[in-house]
Amino acid sequence: MKKSILIISLFLFLPVQNSPGQDAGIKLYLGAGSVRMEEMKYLQEFILSTYPVEGKITSSFPPFSAFSVLVFKQLFEQIRIGGGYSFSTTGGKSSYSDYSGSLITEMAATSHRLGAYLSYSVWGGELLDLSLYGKAEACMSDLFIQSNYTIASYTNSLQNKYRAISPAGTVGAELSFRIKSYALGLSAAYLVDLTGELKEKEEGNPLLDPNDFERTLHSDWTGWQLQVSVQIPFRF
Amino acid sequence: MRKAVLFLAKVSLLFLAPSCFYSDPEIFEVEPVPGDPPVFSVSTNLDSLDHPPVNDSLELIYQVEISGGELYYVYAEIAGTPVFESDSTFGLFWIYPGMADSTGVYTLSMDFYYSSNSNSLAARVGYEALVDHLQIPLDFNGGGQK
Repeated sequence: MKKSILIISLFLFLPVQNSPGQDAGIKLYLGAGSVRMEEMKYLQEFILSTYPVEGKITSSFPPFSAFSVLVFKQLFEQIRIGGGYSFSTTGGKSSYSDYSGSLITEMAATSHRLGAYLSYSVWGGELLDLSLYGKAEACMSDLFIQSNYTIASYTNSLQNKYRAISPAGTVGAELSFRIKSYALGLSAAYLVDLTGELKEKEEGNPLLDPNDFERTLHSDWTGWQLQVSVQIPFRF
Repeated sequence: MRKAVLFLAKVSLLFLAPSCFYSDPEIFEVEPVPGDPPVFSVSTNLDSLDHPPVNDSLELIYQVEISGGELYYVYAEIAGTPVFESDSTFGLFWIYPGMADSTGVYTLSMDFYYSSNSNSLAARVGYEALVDHLQIPLDFNGGGQK
Protein backbone atom coordinates (compact mmCIF):
# COMPACT_ATOMS: atom_id res chain seq x y z
CA MET A 1 0.00 0.00 0.00
CA LYS A 2 2.78 2.38 1.00
CA LYS A 3 4.63 1.47 -2.17
CA SER A 4 1.58 2.26 -4.29
CA ILE A 5 1.16 5.62 -2.62
CA LEU A 6 4.83 6.36 -3.18
CA ILE A 7 4.61 5.49 -6.88
CA ILE A 8 1.51 7.60 -7.34
CA SER A 9 3.14 10.48 -5.49
CA LEU A 10 6.25 10.25 -7.67
CA PHE A 11 4.07 10.23 -10.74
CA LEU A 12 2.13 13.25 -9.59
CA PHE A 13 5.19 15.32 -8.86
CA LEU A 14 7.26 14.14 -11.79
CA PRO A 15 8.46 17.21 -13.64
CA VAL A 16 6.84 17.70 -16.99
CA GLN A 17 9.40 18.86 -19.49
CA ASN A 18 8.56 21.27 -22.28
CA SER A 19 5.03 21.70 -21.08
CA PRO A 20 3.15 24.66 -22.53
CA GLY A 21 2.81 26.07 -19.07
CA GLN A 22 3.50 29.73 -18.49
CA ASP A 23 4.14 31.67 -15.31
CA ALA A 24 0.76 33.21 -15.66
CA GLY A 25 -1.72 33.71 -18.40
CA ILE A 26 -5.24 33.74 -19.55
CA LYS A 27 -7.22 30.98 -21.19
CA LEU A 28 -10.30 31.47 -23.30
CA TYR A 29 -12.66 28.56 -23.83
CA LEU A 30 -15.34 28.39 -26.45
CA GLY A 31 -17.69 25.55 -27.17
CA ALA A 32 -20.97 23.96 -26.36
CA GLY A 33 -22.46 22.25 -23.39
CA SER A 34 -25.36 19.93 -22.75
CA VAL A 35 -27.63 20.51 -19.77
CA ARG A 36 -29.95 18.32 -17.80
CA MET A 37 -32.72 20.86 -17.04
CA GLU A 38 -35.29 18.12 -16.43
CA GLU A 39 -37.56 20.40 -14.43
CA MET A 40 -37.46 23.13 -17.05
CA LYS A 41 -38.44 20.59 -19.69
CA TYR A 42 -41.25 19.50 -17.41
CA LEU A 43 -42.39 23.11 -17.03
CA GLN A 44 -42.22 23.57 -20.78
CA GLU A 45 -44.46 20.55 -21.31
CA PHE A 46 -46.90 21.88 -18.75
CA ILE A 47 -47.05 25.25 -20.48
CA LEU A 48 -47.68 23.51 -23.79
CA SER A 49 -50.54 21.55 -22.21
CA THR A 50 -52.28 24.83 -21.34
CA TYR A 51 -52.50 25.83 -25.00
CA PRO A 52 -56.07 25.75 -26.27
CA VAL A 53 -54.73 24.21 -29.48
CA GLU A 54 -52.26 21.46 -30.35
CA GLY A 55 -48.92 23.27 -30.14
CA LYS A 56 -45.46 21.82 -30.43
CA ILE A 57 -42.17 22.06 -28.58
CA THR A 58 -39.68 23.03 -31.26
CA SER A 59 -36.67 23.05 -28.96
CA SER A 60 -36.13 21.85 -25.44
CA PHE A 61 -32.90 22.91 -23.79
CA PRO A 62 -30.50 21.54 -26.39
CA PRO A 63 -26.70 21.79 -26.10
CA PHE A 64 -25.76 25.39 -26.73
CA SER A 65 -22.99 27.93 -26.19
CA ALA A 66 -20.52 27.62 -23.34
CA PHE A 67 -17.72 30.13 -22.83
CA SER A 68 -15.08 30.51 -20.16
CA VAL A 69 -12.30 32.89 -19.37
CA LEU A 70 -9.68 31.86 -16.91
CA VAL A 71 -6.71 33.52 -15.31
CA PHE A 72 -4.08 31.09 -14.10
CA LYS A 73 -0.71 30.95 -12.43
CA GLN A 74 1.80 28.14 -12.77
CA LEU A 75 2.26 27.08 -9.19
CA PHE A 76 4.51 24.09 -9.85
CA GLU A 77 5.76 22.44 -13.00
CA GLN A 78 2.56 20.42 -13.31
CA ILE A 79 0.13 22.40 -11.25
CA ARG A 80 -1.74 25.50 -12.12
CA ILE A 81 -4.20 27.40 -10.05
CA GLY A 82 -6.48 30.18 -11.04
CA GLY A 83 -9.95 31.49 -11.21
CA GLY A 84 -12.40 32.53 -13.78
CA TYR A 85 -15.80 33.11 -15.19
CA SER A 86 -17.93 30.72 -17.20
CA PHE A 87 -21.07 31.30 -19.16
CA SER A 88 -23.56 28.85 -20.60
CA THR A 89 -26.87 29.37 -22.23
CA THR A 90 -29.70 27.29 -23.58
CA GLY A 91 -33.45 27.46 -23.81
CA GLY A 92 -36.64 26.13 -25.20
CA LYS A 93 -39.51 27.15 -27.36
CA SER A 94 -43.04 25.97 -27.92
CA SER A 95 -45.34 27.48 -30.45
CA TYR A 96 -48.46 27.30 -32.53
CA SER A 97 -49.38 29.46 -35.47
CA ASP A 98 -52.24 29.49 -37.95
CA TYR A 99 -54.04 32.07 -40.08
CA SER A 100 -55.93 33.41 -37.07
CA GLY A 101 -53.02 34.00 -34.71
CA SER A 102 -50.14 32.51 -32.83
CA LEU A 103 -48.98 31.40 -29.40
CA ILE A 104 -45.27 31.41 -28.67
CA THR A 105 -43.57 30.58 -25.39
CA GLU A 106 -39.84 31.07 -25.19
CA MET A 107 -37.63 30.09 -22.29
CA ALA A 108 -34.05 31.34 -22.15
CA ALA A 109 -31.70 30.16 -19.44
CA THR A 110 -28.24 31.50 -18.75
CA SER A 111 -25.66 30.40 -16.24
CA HIS A 112 -22.95 32.68 -14.88
CA ARG A 113 -20.32 30.91 -12.85
CA LEU A 114 -17.41 32.26 -10.88
CA GLY A 115 -14.94 29.84 -9.42
CA ALA A 116 -11.51 28.57 -8.58
CA TYR A 117 -9.48 26.41 -10.94
CA LEU A 118 -6.88 23.73 -10.37
CA SER A 119 -5.09 21.93 -13.17
CA TYR A 120 -2.61 19.10 -13.15
CA SER A 121 -0.51 18.24 -16.15
CA VAL A 122 -0.33 14.45 -16.41
CA TRP A 123 1.72 14.33 -19.56
CA GLY A 124 3.75 16.89 -21.41
CA GLY A 125 5.77 16.68 -24.61
CA GLU A 126 7.49 19.01 -27.00
CA LEU A 127 4.26 20.21 -28.45
CA LEU A 128 1.45 18.50 -26.62
CA ASP A 129 0.26 18.60 -23.06
CA LEU A 130 -2.50 16.60 -21.41
CA SER A 131 -3.89 17.93 -18.21
CA LEU A 132 -6.74 17.21 -15.85
CA TYR A 133 -8.52 20.04 -14.20
CA GLY A 134 -11.26 20.83 -11.80
CA LYS A 135 -13.29 23.86 -10.90
CA ALA A 136 -15.34 24.75 -7.84
CA GLU A 137 -17.88 27.36 -8.77
CA ALA A 138 -20.79 29.42 -7.62
CA CYS A 139 -23.49 29.30 -10.26
CA MET A 140 -26.07 32.00 -10.83
CA SER A 141 -28.86 30.88 -13.15
CA ASP A 142 -31.27 33.21 -14.84
CA LEU A 143 -34.43 31.98 -16.46
CA PHE A 144 -36.52 34.21 -18.68
CA ILE A 145 -39.95 33.00 -19.76
CA GLN A 146 -41.85 34.99 -22.31
CA SER A 147 -45.23 34.16 -23.79
CA ASN A 148 -46.58 36.09 -26.73
CA TYR A 149 -49.98 35.62 -28.19
CA THR A 150 -51.68 37.22 -31.11
CA ILE A 151 -55.28 36.28 -31.75
CA ALA A 152 -57.10 38.11 -34.50
CA SER A 153 -56.17 41.73 -33.76
CA TYR A 154 -55.47 41.14 -30.08
CA THR A 155 -51.85 40.93 -28.95
CA ASN A 156 -50.40 40.41 -25.51
CA SER A 157 -47.12 39.39 -23.92
CA LEU A 158 -46.25 37.97 -20.51
CA GLN A 159 -42.75 37.94 -19.11
CA ASN A 160 -41.30 36.35 -16.00
CA LYS A 161 -37.73 36.37 -14.75
CA TYR A 162 -36.36 33.90 -12.26
CA ARG A 163 -33.00 33.40 -10.62
CA ALA A 164 -31.28 30.60 -8.74
CA ILE A 165 -27.95 30.34 -6.96
CA SER A 166 -26.25 27.00 -6.59
CA PRO A 167 -22.82 25.46 -6.02
CA ALA A 168 -21.30 23.66 -8.99
CA GLY A 169 -18.18 21.77 -9.88
CA THR A 170 -16.45 20.81 -13.08
CA VAL A 171 -13.95 18.09 -13.84
CA GLY A 172 -12.32 17.78 -17.19
CA ALA A 173 -9.38 16.90 -19.35
CA GLU A 174 -7.60 19.12 -21.80
CA LEU A 175 -5.20 18.42 -24.59
CA SER A 176 -3.09 21.44 -25.51
CA PHE A 177 -0.97 22.10 -28.55
CA ARG A 178 1.82 24.58 -28.08
CA ILE A 179 2.54 27.33 -30.58
CA LYS A 180 5.45 29.47 -29.37
CA SER A 181 4.31 30.90 -26.06
CA TYR A 182 0.65 30.33 -26.91
CA ALA A 183 -1.35 27.14 -26.83
CA LEU A 184 -4.46 25.84 -28.47
CA GLY A 185 -6.42 23.19 -26.68
CA LEU A 186 -9.37 20.87 -26.75
CA SER A 187 -11.22 20.33 -23.53
CA ALA A 188 -13.90 17.86 -22.46
CA ALA A 189 -15.49 18.41 -19.09
CA TYR A 190 -18.43 17.39 -16.99
CA LEU A 191 -20.23 20.04 -14.98
CA VAL A 192 -22.15 19.01 -11.89
CA ASP A 193 -24.70 21.56 -10.74
CA LEU A 194 -26.09 20.99 -7.27
CA THR A 195 -29.20 22.89 -8.45
CA GLY A 196 -30.82 25.95 -6.98
CA GLU A 197 -34.41 26.89 -6.35
CA LEU A 198 -35.73 29.34 -8.91
CA LYS A 199 -37.26 32.49 -7.50
CA GLU A 200 -38.76 35.53 -9.14
CA LYS A 201 -36.09 38.17 -9.56
CA GLU A 202 -38.18 41.04 -8.27
CA GLU A 203 -40.75 39.56 -5.91
CA GLY A 204 -38.71 36.61 -4.70
CA ASN A 205 -41.63 34.23 -5.09
CA PRO A 206 -40.54 30.67 -5.81
CA LEU A 207 -41.28 29.08 -9.16
CA LEU A 208 -43.61 26.34 -8.02
CA ASP A 209 -44.38 23.07 -9.68
CA PRO A 210 -47.76 23.74 -11.31
CA ASN A 211 -48.89 20.25 -10.30
CA ASP A 212 -47.52 20.38 -6.76
CA PHE A 213 -47.46 23.75 -5.05
CA GLU A 214 -45.29 22.33 -2.26
CA ARG A 215 -42.37 21.90 -4.61
CA THR A 216 -40.10 24.57 -6.10
CA LEU A 217 -38.57 24.01 -9.51
CA HIS A 218 -34.80 24.01 -9.98
CA SER A 219 -32.39 24.85 -12.72
CA ASP A 220 -29.85 22.14 -13.43
CA TRP A 221 -26.82 22.78 -15.60
CA THR A 222 -25.34 19.34 -15.10
CA GLY A 223 -23.91 18.06 -18.34
CA TRP A 224 -20.99 17.64 -20.70
CA GLN A 225 -19.01 20.49 -22.16
CA LEU A 226 -16.78 20.34 -25.20
CA GLN A 227 -14.65 23.39 -25.83
CA VAL A 228 -11.65 24.64 -27.72
CA SER A 229 -9.28 26.88 -25.88
CA VAL A 230 -6.66 29.51 -26.52
CA GLN A 231 -3.96 30.17 -23.98
CA ILE A 232 -2.34 33.59 -23.99
CA PRO A 233 0.60 34.34 -21.69
CA PHE A 234 0.59 37.58 -19.76
CA ARG A 235 4.09 38.24 -21.08
CA PHE A 236 3.81 38.30 -24.87
CA MET B 1 1.74 37.94 -32.87
CA ARG B 2 0.08 40.07 -30.24
CA LYS B 3 -1.78 42.06 -32.89
CA ALA B 4 -2.89 38.89 -34.61
CA VAL B 5 -4.24 37.45 -31.36
CA LEU B 6 -6.07 40.66 -30.52
CA PHE B 7 -7.50 40.81 -34.03
CA LEU B 8 -8.68 37.23 -33.79
CA ALA B 9 -10.20 37.92 -30.38
CA LYS B 10 -12.13 40.92 -31.72
CA VAL B 11 -13.40 39.05 -34.76
CA SER B 12 -14.39 36.11 -32.58
CA LEU B 13 -16.29 38.38 -30.22
CA LEU B 14 -18.11 39.95 -33.13
CA PHE B 15 -19.21 36.63 -34.57
CA LEU B 16 -19.85 34.93 -31.26
CA ALA B 17 -21.97 37.64 -29.70
CA PRO B 18 -25.22 36.12 -31.05
CA SER B 19 -24.27 32.83 -29.39
CA CYS B 20 -24.63 34.50 -26.01
CA PHE B 21 -28.39 34.56 -26.46
CA TYR B 22 -30.31 31.40 -27.05
CA SER B 23 -32.84 31.66 -29.82
CA ASP B 24 -34.92 29.27 -31.84
CA PRO B 25 -36.44 30.81 -34.98
CA GLU B 26 -38.73 27.87 -35.69
CA ILE B 27 -42.48 28.34 -35.36
CA PHE B 28 -44.90 25.47 -35.57
CA GLU B 29 -47.22 26.38 -38.44
CA VAL B 30 -50.58 24.67 -38.64
CA GLU B 31 -53.27 24.53 -41.29
CA PRO B 32 -56.43 23.99 -39.23
CA VAL B 33 -58.82 21.35 -40.45
CA PRO B 34 -62.28 22.88 -40.08
CA GLY B 35 -65.14 20.89 -38.66
CA ASP B 36 -68.74 21.06 -39.84
CA PRO B 37 -70.23 24.50 -39.30
CA PRO B 38 -73.09 24.68 -36.81
CA VAL B 39 -76.66 24.41 -38.05
CA PHE B 40 -78.18 27.77 -37.25
CA SER B 41 -81.65 29.24 -37.52
CA VAL B 42 -83.48 32.14 -35.91
CA SER B 43 -87.13 32.98 -35.66
CA THR B 44 -88.96 35.99 -34.28
CA ASN B 45 -92.51 36.88 -33.37
CA LEU B 46 -92.49 39.38 -36.27
CA ASP B 47 -91.62 36.87 -39.00
CA SER B 48 -95.15 36.70 -40.31
CA LEU B 49 -95.70 40.46 -40.35
CA ASP B 50 -94.93 42.83 -43.17
CA HIS B 51 -93.50 46.13 -41.99
CA PRO B 52 -94.85 45.81 -38.45
CA PRO B 53 -95.84 49.22 -37.10
CA VAL B 54 -94.20 50.80 -34.09
CA ASN B 55 -96.98 52.68 -32.36
CA ASP B 56 -96.54 53.04 -28.62
CA SER B 57 -94.15 50.12 -28.49
CA LEU B 58 -93.36 46.88 -30.25
CA GLU B 59 -92.08 43.76 -28.58
CA LEU B 60 -89.56 41.61 -30.42
CA ILE B 61 -89.00 38.06 -29.29
CA TYR B 62 -86.33 35.98 -30.91
CA GLN B 63 -85.41 32.32 -30.59
CA VAL B 64 -82.15 30.87 -31.88
CA GLU B 65 -81.80 27.19 -32.72
CA ILE B 66 -78.22 26.06 -33.01
CA SER B 67 -76.74 22.61 -33.08
CA GLY B 68 -73.08 21.68 -33.25
CA GLY B 69 -72.02 25.09 -32.04
CA GLU B 70 -72.48 27.91 -29.60
CA LEU B 71 -74.14 31.28 -29.85
CA TYR B 72 -71.69 34.01 -28.76
CA TYR B 73 -73.50 37.26 -29.17
CA VAL B 74 -76.64 38.95 -30.45
CA TYR B 75 -76.62 42.59 -31.43
CA ALA B 76 -79.49 44.71 -32.71
CA GLU B 77 -79.60 48.26 -34.01
CA ILE B 78 -81.96 50.63 -35.73
CA ALA B 79 -80.46 53.25 -38.03
CA GLY B 80 -77.05 52.81 -36.42
CA THR B 81 -78.34 53.11 -32.88
CA PRO B 82 -77.80 50.03 -30.67
CA VAL B 83 -81.04 48.82 -29.18
CA PHE B 84 -80.19 45.42 -27.78
CA GLU B 85 -77.37 42.98 -27.07
CA SER B 86 -77.26 39.61 -25.44
CA ASP B 87 -75.54 36.24 -25.48
CA SER B 88 -78.70 34.24 -24.97
CA THR B 89 -80.41 32.03 -27.54
CA PHE B 90 -83.75 33.38 -26.39
CA GLY B 91 -84.56 36.98 -25.70
CA LEU B 92 -86.95 39.84 -26.06
CA PHE B 93 -86.75 43.58 -26.18
CA TRP B 94 -89.02 46.53 -26.83
CA ILE B 95 -88.87 48.94 -29.70
CA TYR B 96 -90.19 52.42 -29.12
CA PRO B 97 -91.03 55.19 -31.61
CA GLY B 98 -88.24 57.36 -30.19
CA MET B 99 -85.62 54.90 -31.50
CA ALA B 100 -86.07 56.32 -35.00
CA ASP B 101 -85.03 59.81 -36.10
CA SER B 102 -88.32 60.51 -37.78
CA THR B 103 -91.34 58.77 -39.15
CA GLY B 104 -90.93 56.27 -41.89
CA VAL B 105 -89.66 52.80 -42.47
CA TYR B 106 -86.48 51.86 -40.66
CA THR B 107 -84.72 48.54 -40.67
CA LEU B 108 -84.05 46.65 -37.49
CA SER B 109 -80.73 44.87 -38.07
CA MET B 110 -79.84 41.92 -35.92
CA ASP B 111 -76.46 40.17 -36.03
CA PHE B 112 -76.03 36.70 -34.57
CA TYR B 113 -72.44 35.65 -33.91
CA TYR B 114 -71.81 31.96 -33.34
CA SER B 115 -68.93 29.51 -33.34
CA SER B 116 -67.25 28.83 -36.64
CA ASN B 117 -65.93 25.35 -35.81
CA SER B 118 -62.91 26.16 -37.95
CA ASN B 119 -60.58 24.71 -35.29
CA SER B 120 -58.28 27.70 -35.61
CA LEU B 121 -56.68 29.31 -32.58
CA ALA B 122 -59.12 32.21 -32.67
CA ALA B 123 -62.06 29.83 -32.99
CA ARG B 124 -60.89 27.78 -29.98
CA VAL B 125 -60.85 30.83 -27.74
CA GLY B 126 -64.05 32.32 -29.08
CA TYR B 127 -62.47 35.12 -31.09
CA GLU B 128 -63.65 33.87 -34.46
CA ALA B 129 -67.32 33.64 -35.33
CA LEU B 130 -69.72 33.13 -38.15
CA VAL B 131 -72.38 35.77 -38.37
CA ASP B 132 -75.97 35.65 -39.57
CA HIS B 133 -77.86 38.83 -40.29
CA LEU B 134 -81.56 39.37 -39.84
CA GLN B 135 -83.25 42.50 -41.13
CA ILE B 136 -86.81 43.50 -40.29
CA PRO B 137 -88.30 46.67 -41.79
CA LEU B 138 -90.32 48.51 -39.17
CA ASP B 139 -92.87 51.21 -39.81
CA PHE B 140 -92.29 54.11 -37.45
CA ASN B 141 -95.58 55.79 -38.13
CA GLY B 142 -95.17 58.86 -36.00
CA GLY B 143 -96.11 57.55 -32.63
CA GLY B 144 -93.16 59.42 -31.17
CA GLN B 145 -90.10 61.46 -32.07
CA LYS B 146 -86.59 61.61 -30.62
